[in-house]
Formats: sequence, C-alpha cells, structure tokens
Amino acid sequence: MEDEEISQEDAWVVISEYFKENGLVSQQLSSFNHFILHTIQEIIEDSAEITIIPERQYRPGERQQQELRYVISFKQATLGARPVLKEQDGSSNLIFPHEARLRNLTYASNLLVDVQKQSIVNYEGRGEHVEGEEEQKGVFIGRIPIMVRSNYCALSNKTEKERITYKECVFDQGGYFIINGKEKVLVAQEKMANNFVYVFHRSQPSKYSWVAEIRSQNESSNKVPSQFSIRLTHKVKSSHEQVIRANLPYIKSDVPVVILFRAMGFVADKDIISHICYDAADVRMMELLKPSLEEAFVIPSQEVALDFIGRRGNSVGASQEQRIIYAKDLLQKEMLPHVSVSAEYETKKAFFVGYMVHRLCNAALGRNKEDDRDHYGKKRLDLAGSLLANLFRQLFRRFTKTAQEVMKKQVDSQHDINLVAAVKEHIITSGLRYALATGNWMQDKTGAVSKTGVSQVLSRLTFSSSLSHLRRLNTPLQKQGKLTKPRQLHNTHWGMICPAETPEGQACGLVKNLTLMAHISVSCNSSQLQRMLEELNTENLVELSVKNIHDRTKVFFNGSWIGIHGDAEYLVKTLVNCRRGGMLPKQVSIVRDIPNKEIRIYSDSGRIQRPVFIAENNKIKMSRYYIEQMKLPRERPDHLSFDKCTELGLIEFLDTEEEETSLIAMTMKELNEGGNKYHYTHCEIHPSMILGVCASIIPFPDHNQSPRNTYQSAMGKQAMGIYTSNYQLRMDTLAHVLYYAQKPLVMTRAMEFMYFKELPSGCNAVVAIACYTGYNQEDSVIMNQSSIDRGFFRSIFYRTYENQAKTIGGADEEFHIPAKETTVGTRDGCYDKLDVDGLIIPGQRVSGDDVIIGKTAALNAFGATNRQTRKDVSICLRHSESGIIDSVLLTVDDLGHKFAKIKMRSIRIPQIGDKFASRHGQKGTIGQTFRQEDLPFSKQGISPDIIVNPHAIPSRMTIGHLIECLASKVACLRGEEGDGTPFQSVTVEDISRDLHALGYQLRGNEVMYNGHTGNRLASQIFFGPTYYQRLKHMVDDKIHSRARGQVQSLTRQPTEGRSRDGGLRFGEMERDCMISHGAARFLKERLFEASDAYRVHVCENCGLFAIANLDRNMFQCKQCKNKNTRISQIFIPYACKLLFQELMAMHIAPRLHTSIS
Amino acid sequence: MDANTAYLTQNTPENVHTVEHPLSGGKTLEEILSNIEMTIIEEKEEHLIIDLVGIEAPIANALRRIMLSEVPTMAIEDINLWQNTSVIPDEVLAHRIGLIPIDADPRLFKFKHPNEEHSSENCICFKLHAVCRRLEDGSIVGDKVMSGDLQWQPFPNQQERFGHFKPVHDDIIIAKLGPGQEIEAELFCEKGIGATHTKWSPVCTASYRLAPKITLKKEIAGENAINLKNKCPMGVFDVKKGKAVVKNPRNCTSCRECIREDDSMVSLAKVKDHFIFTIETTGALSPRDIFREAIKELRDKAAFWLDKINIYKRTPKS
Repeated sequence: MEDEEISQEDAWVVISEYFKENGLVSQQLSSFNHFILHTIQEIIEDSAEITIIPERQYRPGERQQQELRYVISFKQATLGARPVLKEQDGSSNLIFPHEARLRNLTYASNLLVDVQKQSIVNYEGRGEHVEGEEEQKGVFIGRIPIMVRSNYCALSNKTEKERITYKECVFDQGGYFIINGKEKVLVAQEKMANNFVYVFHRSQPSKYSWVAEIRSQNESSNKVPSQFSIRLTHKVKSSHEQVIRANLPYIKSDVPVVILFRAMGFVADKDIISHICYDAADVRMMELLKPSLEEAFVIPSQEVALDFIGRRGNSVGASQEQRIIYAKDLLQKEMLPHVSVSAEYETKKAFFVGYMVHRLCNAALGRNKEDDRDHYGKKRLDLAGSLLANLFRQLFRRFTKTAQEVMKKQVDSQHDINLVAAVKEHIITSGLRYALATGNWMQDKTGAVSKTGVSQVLSRLTFSSSLSHLRRLNTPLQKQGKLTKPRQLHNTHWGMICPAETPEGQACGLVKNLTLMAHISVSCNSSQLQRMLEELNTENLVELSVKNIHDRTKVFFNGSWIGIHGDAEYLVKTLVNCRRGGMLPKQVSIVRDIPNKEIRIYSDSGRIQRPVFIAENNKIKMSRYYIEQMKLPRERPDHLSFDKCTELGLIEFLDTEEEETSLIAMTMKELNEGGNKYHYTHCEIHPSMILGVCASIIPFPDHNQSPRNTYQSAMGKQAMGIYTSNYQLRMDTLAHVLYYAQKPLVMTRAMEFMYFKELPSGCNAVVAIACYTGYNQEDSVIMNQSSIDRGFFRSIFYRTYENQAKTIGGADEEFHIPAKETTVGTRDGCYDKLDVDGLIIPGQRVSGDDVIIGKTAALNAFGATNRQTRKDVSICLRHSESGIIDSVLLTVDDLGHKFAKIKMRSIRIPQIGDKFASRHGQKGTIGQTFRQEDLPFSKQGISPDIIVNPHAIPSRMTIGHLIECLASKVACLRGEEGDGTPFQSVTVEDISRDLHALGYQLRGNEVMYNGHTGNRLASQIFFGPTYYQRLKHMVDDKIHSRARGQVQSLTRQPTEGRSRDGGLRFGEMERDCMISHGAARFLKERLFEASDAYRVHVCENCGLFAIANLDRNMFQCKQCKNKNTRISQIFIPYACKLLFQELMAMHIAPRLHTSIS
Repeated sequence: MDANTAYLTQNTPENVHTVEHPLSGGKTLEEILSNIEMTIIEEKEEHLIIDLVGIEAPIANALRRIMLSEVPTMAIEDINLWQNTSVIPDEVLAHRIGLIPIDADPRLFKFKHPNEEHSSENCICFKLHAVCRRLEDGSIVGDKVMSGDLQWQPFPNQQERFGHFKPVHDDIIIAKLGPGQEIEAELFCEKGIGATHTKWSPVCTASYRLAPKITLKKEIAGENAINLKNKCPMGVFDVKKGKAVVKNPRNCTSCRECIREDDSMVSLAKVKDHFIFTIETTGALSPRDIFREAIKELRDKAAFWLDKINIYKRTPKS
C-alpha cells in the first residue's frame, strides 16, 4: 500500500483536495491578506518620522530659548476587526457585504495607528534631551476597503450555513471589493520583473550592438526602479574598436565601464579584468575588453574617475570635491540599489557590474543567445495586494505631509499639537475609494493617471464569467502597438496561462487568464533564506577569491549576486529538500542553470506557480496510501490535506523558471513507459489543468480547432444561467436568469470545482444537424416552438433602476408623487402606478415611459413662479422595456441621502432573432420556429429542439461538437453523466460502440421522417442531445425603427441611438445610391426640404448673415449700413447655418455670395 | 425493385419517395379503401401502437399532425393569483401551472370566445391554496406544492353534469415553499388546440415509422450466422439449426451495421404503405380516443374542402 502506484483517476482526488483547500480565487485572497498583515505595517514603519521645528519667535525682552522640536512617529497599526460603517447620525455599525451592496456603501475597515509624539530639546552645548514623550493609541487614519471573504472580512470563519443567513451566495468565493455598492475586481497587472539582467541585440541605426539592461529596485525601499545598462558599440568598419560603456541614472552621457570600475576603487587593469572575465584563459573575451581598457587609459585614479562621472551629472558649477561626493553618492544610492545601498557597496557592485559585462561579452561573442523578452519567467504579476500597497504608500506619504503642515501651523500659532485635528483621515479613505471606484491607479504630481482600468466592475452574467474575471491578467501599454510577439502564446505559458481564453481583437493576447491550478506567489521572509545559504558554505562576495569564480557556481538571490559555491549539486539538493520538507516556504523557487554555472533563488512576489507531483527514479512519490488518506473526511485528524502534501515532499509548486530546469512527465503512463530513457523529476497532476475557467467548460476541447475554443471562452461569459444563488436578494443593474437551467449531460471533471453543476448556464437540447426547409442558413437555427411553449430556454430579465434624493449642498429633492399644480416639467408617462411614498408598488405591470420613482426638486428663486415651486425630476422606465416590478428598496446611504432601488423583471421567451450557442464556438440566431408537427421525427417520435445547418461543421472543424453529441446520447440513454475531459483516453470508437450496444446507429445517425410531407427523409440525420447556451443578445433589446421624432436642440438633426428613439443614419453610401439612381431631386427633397431647411438672410455686400425682422419687413446689415436693399433670402441646412456661426465665433468669416439665375 | 419498398444500402437509401396521388398509382379509390388494414398491436392506458397498412404518407402524416396539434383538450389558461410569496416569480409559476394535464373530456365543453365569460359550459375552475408552516417540533409541512393540491371548484350544476375533474397526475411538483410562504390562486381551464400552445396538445408524441422488411439474400450458416446475430444489438437475427433467420424485423433501428461491411447477405428495406403508429397520451384522453378524434377531424377537414370545391365548381366562371 505504501508505495502502490496511483492511477490517473487518483489524481482527481488530489485536484479536488487542492480546490477544497484553495478555491478558485486564492491568489486574490492571499495577496490581500499579505498586504494587510505585513505590507501596511511595513509602509507605516518605513515612512520617515515627522519633525516639526517651530518657527523662532523673536519677542523683545525675552531671552533666546532652547531649541525645541517635535518628532511624530507612527508605530503599530491595527485594522478594525470587522468592516464598519459610520452612519450619518453618528452611530457606527458593523456591516456585512450584502448590506454594502444594497445600500451602495463601501465595505471597509478602520485603520488605527499608534502615534508617538516626542518633544526634543536641544540645550546649547549639552546636546539633545527627550523632554516629553506621549503615545496616542489607535488614531484613526483612514478606511481600508476589505476584500470579500479575505481574513479581514466579516464572512471569514463563517460556515456555509451562516453565510446563507447573511444573504450571501453559497458558492461565492469573494476576491473582490465593494465600493459604493459596486463589486470591484482588481485585475492582475503584468510587468517585467525587476532585478533581472537582460541582454539584447540592437541593429544598425542604434549606436550600440549589444545592451545588457537591468531595472533595479531595492527590496525594502519602494522607489521607482532605477535603470542601468551596459552597452557595446557597433563594429565600425574603419576601426575594429568596440568599446563598452555604462549608462548610469542621472548621468547624461555614457561612461566607459572601466572608468566606472575605477570610480568604485578598482583601478588596476588586472583587477578590472578579473571582475569581468572569470576564466583567465579566455583570450577572446580579453580581446573584446582591450579597446575599452585603452579608452579609459587617461583616467588613472579613483578621484579622477569620480570627477569624470560627477562632471556629467546634475552638478553645474560645483567644485571638484562636491562633484566627487555627488558621484560617490550616486554610485552608492542610485546605481544598482538592489545590490546594496550601504556604505560598503564597492565590492558587491563591482562584481555585479562585472557580471553584467560578462553576460554582454558572452552574447557579443555568440556564446549565448539574446534574452527572450516574452519569457514568462521574467514577468511578475501585481495583484490586489501589491497594487493596493503602491497606492497606500503614495496616499500615506500625502497623509503625513498634510499632517506635518497642519501641525506646523498649530505650533507656529502657539498652540499645542493637536493630533486629532492634524490627522486628515479622508486622504486615505477617499484616495483608496476613488482609485477602486474608477480604476485610475496612481496619479503623479501633475494629476495624470498612470494606469486605467485596473479596477473593474465584477462581471455577474454567469457564475463562470465572475470566476474568470477574478483570474484575469492584463498587460498594460502597447494596446495599439502592432508588435505581435507579446501577444503570442509562449512556451513558458504552459500550465500557467490558459491557451484558449483571450479576447479577440485589440486586446488579443494581452489580456490573459490564469489556469485553474495556477497560483501567484506572495513574498516571504528572505533573511532566513540568506542565512541558510551562508550556513551551506556559500562564499560571500566580499571574502571570495576572484580566481575561484570560474570553477564554482554563482549564487543569485532575487537577482542579486550574493556569492559562489563549490558544490552546486549539493547546494541545490539541500535547498530543494528543505523546501520539500517544509523548512523553506513552498513559494521559494530554486533554479540551477548548469551551462552558465549559476544558481538562482527567488522568493519575491508575483511569480506564477503551479503544483506538480514530485517524481524520483521515474516514480511518483504520491502513492495509494496517501490518496486513501486524502479521501478521508476533512474533519478526521489523519486526513491528508493538500498543504500537507507539499510538506511531505509529494507535491511541489514550480514557477516558470524552475519548470524549465525540470523534466515533467505528461502522464503517469509516460513516466512508467519511458523506462530509464529519461530521468523525470516531476509529473503533471493532470494535463487538462492547463486550461482556464472558461475553457474548462468545453467538452472535448482537444478535438476542436483552437480558435473555436477561444470563441467559446468568450461566449461562455455571455451565456445566461444562474449567476449566483442569492440573485433574488441582489439588486444588480442587469441580470438574466434561466427558468430551467440544466447541468450538461457531458461534463468535464474541472467543472465540478467551478460549481457548474450547481449553477449551470444552459440546457441540454436535442439537436439535429440537418438541412430542413432552409430556415437555418448562414448560422441561424430552427427551434422547436412546442419546446419553447414547454419552457425551453425561457429566461427572466432583471433590471434595477436606482435614484437618490439629494438633500446636501443646496439640493432639496424629495420622493413623492409630484402634484400637477405645483410642479413644472411633468413627464408624459403615467403617474398612477406610484404609491403614496412616490415609489412604484411591487407587482405592478409597467411598460415604456411609466414613472417608477416620483421625485421633485425645489426650484430656485428665478425659476419659481407663484404657483409652481418644484421641478419634476421623476425617473421613468426605459421606453423600449416593459415588465413587472419585482421589488422596491428604500434606504439611506452613508451620507444620509434617501435612496431607492427598483428591480423590474420581465420574461424573455425565445423568439426569432435570439442568439444561442453550443459549447464549441458555434453560435447562431433563431431563423424560424416550427411547432412539433412540422419538425422531422425519428422512429421513436422524437423531434429536435434545435436544427443546426451542417454547413457549420466542415470549415470550422469543431469535432468536439459532434463527439459531445454522441457522448451525450450515450449518457442520456444510460442515465449517467458523460465525461468530456480533455486529454483522456476515450475515443470516438469507444463511444460509438456503447451507442450501438444501446441499439442505435453507431455514429449517432437516425432515420427521420419529414414533418410536413410525412415522407421518409432521403438521408439519415445526425441526431442527439447537445448542451446549448442562451446568449444575452436578444432582438427585443435591439429592435428599433423610427419614422419621425426628436431632434437634437443644437444641430436640429435626429438624435442617435435606440435608447433616445434616435434616427437611422442615411449615410454617404446610401446617398451615393440615390445619386447613381438619378434621384438627385428626391435626395434634396428628403434630406433638405423635408428635413432641416432654414431660412436666413444674407447681405449681398459682405456675404454675412443679416438682421431680418419679418413682422415689420425690415432687413439690415449693420456693418455695411445696408438697410432693406441688397439683402437676399436663402435656404440652407440648419447644420450649415450652425457651422457658419461657429466659424464666425473663431474669427473666420464664411461669406455667402448670392446671384439670381 | 418493388415500388412499394424503400431500400437501405450501404451508402444511401433508395426509392424512398411515395406515390403522391392515388390515380398515379393506377389504383381506384375503391381499391385503396378496400386495401386499408388496421391492427392494434399494443394498447395500454398511456400508449397505443397500431399498424396501418394500405394508406400513403400524406394521409398518415395528416393524422399524425392532427393528433399533435388539432385534437382539443382542456388546459389551464387564466389564473387569478391572489398570493405568491414563494421564490418562484408569478410568471414562471403561471407557466408551470399551465402545463399540468387536466383529466377532463374536452368533448363536454365548448370553446371559449375571448370576450365570453367563464361559465359551466366552457370552463373548469380549480383553486390552489398552499401554505408552508414550521410546526412546533421543528418539522416543516407543506413545503411542496403538488398538482394534487388543485381543488376543483365546480360551477353551478357542473358536478351533476360531469362528475369529477382533477389533474391527470397528483405528483407533479408545482413549487417548493419555505416556512411562512404561501400560494393562493384560482385557475381556469379552457378548451384549446395544440397549435395555439402545446399545453393543449393531447399527446406527448404521436409518430409513425415504416415497417421494416428484412430478408436474407442468401442462406447464411455457421460462423457467419452467429456473427450476423451478434452484430445486431436489437436481436433482429437469430440462429436456428445453424442457419441465420430473421426473428424480430420490427426491432430494427436501421443502424445498417449488418450491411456495413458486407451487403451481400442481408437486404434492409421498408414497406412504404405500412405505418406503425405510436400514440402516447398526456392522459386527458385515451390514445384510442385521440386517434378516433383525429380521424373525425380529418374527415371534417375533407368535408370542409369538398364543400369549398363544390361551391367553386358551382360558381359561374367569369
């Protein structure tokens, strides 16, 4: 039992355990938890303390006092245990997410900080003394939005039953924020990793042929990453000299590297070379370095070198000493801050610069290839936690700055420091709320937004669309760039990023989705790891002998070179064993790069990782024994959890870089069959885990042409079903719910973890693939009207209208039925359906333009006549919609405004023009509905629900569609669930055999009879159940026509869009048609005379518009002093008149010269 | 090749078309009528299987179509919903109630005109009042609203005339309630036909198929016979005394597996004027009645058109 091998089936036990433990949004939750638990405290502690030096007060007759200053510092931060709301009446209430959603509140907790105030007196000559020290505990500095279902949410540690009593969806996994009642997701942002050396080739127009770049950022400080690069010039034909230069931050021109080395105190040529070229016998590299050495020959010493650098910096008019200090400072703090910012930086930085030059030379000599920019190991993801951290850091800085200013003022006006008055908690509260509400992340000093669309409203169309939204990644910038490479699927995406799920069009390949089992690392404590490395005999850079570098292996930690080690094999093995034994965090990745003699260790945040089985001697360590333990109920003490597996060394998390140094068997079978040909280090848990949320819904995706899976991944998000289990209690602006959603006959194993069975989004339709009557051509389908009558694909549509009665800031609005006598501007709609409180009654049948919220606003003094004192600002139903009022909510928001939400419901019965799709990117609209007697029927009397045209199949190659149908037929006849999980050994032959054994034609074809004529159809029809989805696009929401109607007041042209009852554009192509028909007069009549003809009067002298008083028959042009003579009346389009006036407003005089023909 | 037989070959069916007009078949009406044969193969409460021999597809199909959509039944059409505090929206509930089959003979009722009142002549009224309660011991009663909860509210003298009306099945779940929830409604059945809405269709399905005609082209014996027998999952073939025989030709599903590899042994065919009708009722009418009503309806239609034609013939041509 102990080492009995496991089967592929057992892998599902492991996968199911993983999802039970982590859920599908664990990356969001763990990132946020880390932010609250560690990052907030770090940011607050890292912030400089506030020092306030009172302005000296010179008073005649008073002796000069001792120098006094106050130091304010922020200590321990604590977050309120649960999200609270401060009501307008002053009371504080604990809130739950559901209340926040309904009342448009922000789901946030109070952040409290202990503030220490010290007054320090500097007695002349006697040094400093701390006079008074007081600490104020728990100062409220702002409200932090809380991620739903994180450790700080009111729902944490609540059982499923309890969550139901709090009106939550049973299956909701959280991972989003609630800002002003809207659910907001922070979409993970992809970026290039910091502290990575990249070597790139540059072609001719550039001055340099090779560049080694790094974006360096110190782990603890949070400055903008500083750019540093080493460049090799192009070979010029005249001379063979190729010199190497360094580009330093704040230094305007490039500095020869050798000078940089000299500035760091490595003066001798030999010293410099030994830092670059580790192999003394490497003649070619020496040759390459020679011109550089010669170039720097003129700079013989450290001082001169520093001066050389300082001279090129921002030190205009400084003395030589100042320049040297400036340069020294720059090298210490600005150059490569991730290596060191301490005073003894020289050795470490020299080694690192040397390493970069080494990499550059290797590439230039053709020994190594150019680095791959799109390699996913070099990408990091900023999740909710780090995004919030960056924002919070900026806001906290602004917060302390304001506090300082206020306190300075207090002190200067001879008051005591009043902390409570100085702490402006709204800076953090509204700063965070603004960013989360708009998605505009981080503003610079000018107020320009650096990133937009970071925070998005959680999609609630289908449950799977919500899940997919929470696992989305975005690559900022280059949206319009025509560069295709960053959009393409890269080898390193395997297992981390879904190959199918990406949008089409502009954002194709830039917006990605995590696979089901991908997890994103959070940073972990690095000091322990560094200590461990030292204990394992890593020679520190400061102490090592340069000669040894060549033979030994370089050890890098988070991009910085910390030392060398003589026995790489041993080091890696020990570290990996430590990690597998739980002594090291499982997120640490250990990469051994044998050809380059490097070991790279990472513990930073934002790396994507995924779990795999560990294999040793071509045998999986996970065995039957453990699987049995895992199958035990979770409450049992001997139950084996997934987390425990990582500590037992059965499973480990690999990130993209480490994955590349591993040999992972695809299946357990492969592992066994391989013999000893390969030495596998790992085995995939299941290959179907390379897919994301939306692609996991597709059965047999491995039989489809790949773009079809992409189409389905996009369409699955528009399908309707049951989007949460508490939809009746929610007030979403738009929602669709299917009457009778069914779980699919053919499932994939992964669906189970996405609760697709519990919250499905479609129906099992009986589908015939046939040409019948011709009403299903060009991607339309024929639907069975009798099935529709019986409830097939009926759905409910909910729309919520919401309005606020503002009473703050001069506004005086009130909900009530507007009185016709005292109100101006009453609507045309019907007010009779309103209740006495001004809100519509639940259960009322409403249709277009009915008033659903009666509201008036006070008229200001100018607008008010003696009778009418109020203006009608009632809300009407959209004029193209009708339905029944489902529920009405009247409540108060956090500012004390009364506000109402009204949910309307209407029934959507499938009709011609509604859109449907299978799970294989096969979408179509209903072209015709036939009653049962008109449809073909099989020998059992079964007629199809949907008839799809066979032309939809050959060019699209969605074989999965056909196999799904076949497997569904078997599943249906047997009364079981079919399995459509990809990459499994089921074949069409197997399914066919089963079907034939059940007495059907083995390929699923059936003899059918024509419903119209009763004749037998000449060919057999492919016939069986297939899971179909109803998509949200319905004709009733789109149908629009207009003969005449409103015009815009400015241009007098028809309004635009269906919602405004707009006109349909008669565009230039339509105009061209009329002209080419020879119907020019018709054109003029329709488009001008019957449209917007406008009479103007033009002065014949100047050609400008003249004043015309038709009543008194007076015409004049004031400028020309032209009265009643030489004035023409003409007709022009109103738009033309408007154009002329606008031109005149910008000092362009369009003149109209008239003549009589 | 027999004109009256459609053949199934390896690749395609052959000779599937019917003779559309009696005259083109060279038969007189009398011949046709005397050749019609009808046998009941199986009759159960819920379904009926009949063999109809000697008619052609248009007639058979007309019967089928009439059964599906033109034989009237009673179904709930109007609802007065006084209370609905369940989770099911009113419209969904109404739709579900509408689909409940009602055990009432439609022949006893008249069609209701849209502007006619509900009366004992054209309507059956039911009442539904379901309340779910939590009892003191914690148990919940009345959490399922079933079709059996519908209570007939007879119009004056309906009871004396018609006896008792109720839904066909008592165990259809209409809604599920939580404690404290309540549904109270008044339901009115009307007479209607399936073409208006499927709820009035008297059948689940009514269909026919052509009778299979399976013959062995040659004598098949020994292993071949056993192979042939095993090929068919429906047990069409059997082996008797070492020779293959066609045992249950009616079981054939036309899967063509027996001729897929070698079509020299078996001939698969359909008799084009032999229809095996299957009628499955929803329960309001017996399948036999449905068939009878369908024939009546067809006869009325024929009479109607005959009338029209006669009028047309008699009107002088201008």
